[in-house]
Amino acid sequence: MTTTQHGNRSTVTVGTTEVELFSGGSGPALLFLHGAGGNAGWQPWHEALAKTYTVYVPSQPGFNGTERPDWVYTITDVAHFNRSLVQTLGLSQYILMGSSMGGWVAAEMAAMCHYDLRGLVLVDAAGIKPDKSEIAEIFMVSTQTRQKQRFYDPSQVPNLDQYTRTLTPEEQVIEHANREMASRLCWRPYLHNLSLPHYLGKVSTPTLIVWGRQDAIIPLECGELYQQALPHATLTVIEQCGHSPALEKPQEFVQVVTTFLAGLP
Amino acid sequence: MVDVYWFSEQPYGYVTEQDLEPYESGRMHFPNTNFDPEKAHVLYQNYHDQYAWADEVGFDGIMSNEHHSSYWCMKPSVNVDAAVIAKVTKKTKIAMLGNVIALNDPVKMAEEIAMLDCISGGRIVSGFVRGTAVETLHAGISPTENRERFEEAHDLILKCWTTPGPFRWEGRHFPHRMINPWVVPMQKPHPPIWFPGTGSPESVIWAAKHGYPYMNLGSLLDLTKQLKAIYHETAHEVGYEPGPQHFGYLMRCLVADTDEKAQEIGRTFLWTENHRNRGPIEFNDPPGYQSREAMRIKMSRPLIGTGTMGRRMTYQELQDAHNIIVGSPETVLRKLRYVREDLNPGYILIYGNEGNMRHEDVMRSIELFGTKVIPALKAD
Repeated sequence: MTTTQHGNRSTVTVGTTEVELFSGGSGPALLFLHGAGGNAGWQPWHEALAKTYTVYVPSQPGFNGTERPDWVYTITDVAHFNRSLVQTLGLSQYILMGSSMGGWVAAEMAAMCHYDLRGLVLVDAAGIKPDKSEIAEIFMVSTQTRQKQRFYDPSQVPNLDQYTRTLTPEEQVIEHANREMASRLCWRPYLHNLSLPHYLGKVSTPTLIVWGRQDAIIPLECGELYQQALPHATLTVIEQCGHSPALEKPQEFVQVVTTFLAGLP
Repeated sequence: MVDVYWFSEQPYGYVTEQDLEPYESGRMHFPNTNFDPEKAHVLYQNYHDQYAWADEVGFDGIMSNEHHSSYWCMKPSVNVDAAVIAKVTKKTKIAMLGNVIALNDPVKMAEEIAMLDCISGGRIVSGFVRGTAVETLHAGISPTENRERFEEAHDLILKCWTTPGPFRWEGRHFPHRMINPWVVPMQKPHPPIWFPGTGSPESVIWAAKHGYPYMNLGSLLDLTKQLKAIYHETAHEVGYEPGPQHFGYLMRCLVADTDEKAQEIGRTFLWTENHRNRGPIEFNDPPGYQSREAMRIKMSRPLIGTGTMGRRMTYQELQDAHNIIVGSPETVLRKLRYVREDLNPGYILIYGNEGNMRHEDVMRSIELFGTKVIPALKAD
């Protein structure tokens, strides 16, 4: 967890909930939604994007430093919650980006209203049920299995020990709570919403879909289905890469994303 | 006075350590290709004969339960088993410990239990359980939902039994707009409700708050005494004085004609013990299955949280701890008296067979309980 002077942690109140928020940079607004593993805080790749954009990285309800409001049970609830967050932050014509479960939330938000979106970036996103393959089991598996699922080639991950080291007792409590919340949101239907592809046909927002070709959790087929469902979407596949391109291939990932963002009208 | 209940997990006793070893877990991963329905047919027959015999020789009750994806319990439906008990017995209470109400439609649960109560002539004790986490996983339900589904199902079942229909129920998990079950229980206002647990203080507190008898399923005596103390504390907070009728204790127990023979047969109580609940923590205690309050209670009481599960004790150590009681009628009686003195339970639940114990040996054990042990306990 790297915190820089641009990556200050703060809180913002949404309804009655204090939301933990990492933010930094300047320029057009970019909201990034983390995945089921939780909010890793301000990361080097956020810093890279913060050169051109004002990057907001909130902890989702029930994850890390944000309490779960008692009405939040589903990804739809989370999407509505984030739309309230967007309003609280005063974002308009912003870039919405999400990874894994956060990508699913982002897609649901875009389906709710895309008129305030300048661009949409989905990274190895959950949300669509594949036809020919399966989303891997992430809850009813051991820690060792979970760790194996994450990266295609751990040896190419910069600062790998950051993701594999033994957690402090405080971090363990957070990690346990994060997994509890992810279970609550994603258990059934499992990491998808059958209606979501049908929602997305109206989302005319320019969209980048980024996928690690060897994603062992959410298969590339889901990226292809997102591309088919979204009218203005480009799918960019990162080779030799697993479920977390931002961590496993950070330079290539930032390059792909910044190129797309630079081309937005 | 103590009531003595017979209980059999109805194991599929053909499974061996060698069968189980290759698999990541003893339940969810152990393939059901190891199950032979022809063999199960014979086993069920034996288990039902044991029920009938227990009734005949003088047990006060028969306890049953259910588990899913488990080779050591061939009962995926306690209600089906209770229906059998109701028909093969005449006098015994039928204690279902119990229905996994969080995972089923509570209205159907209420109907089935009411039906069983009518069929059995009011002999049903209706236990409600949260189940092991594997039950919830096997049902495809998020472990984070178990507790609130349990609470809602409990309230709805009670309403089905006590409120004339039709009525409406707009709960989060089990919404129904028209409920009017034709069959209602014979016992009024409803069958007794028991609540079992293995080691969780949260379960004890829940039972005590509702005034429901708490059945401890085989924790070690020291832990059980602590849990009982929590029951008492909670009952006092709520405003009643609990007695033995609020507390039961389950032990693995077998009687034979001699101590030597019982020692030999009783060894089977350790059948595949290390595999029964073997599996990652994600199976046995997934995040969200226990409430944060339950975890807080556990933290605040450092001695609590270790039952027998996952804890390797030898056959002799388990006997020394009165967790397994085997012997001649005299030996078993002496040990049961010790447990009664120590815990003062109103119900002694006999976990009476295991693995591939011979049917004849189990039948003889039941007989010796009925002719020697139970009458002596009652005469104390």
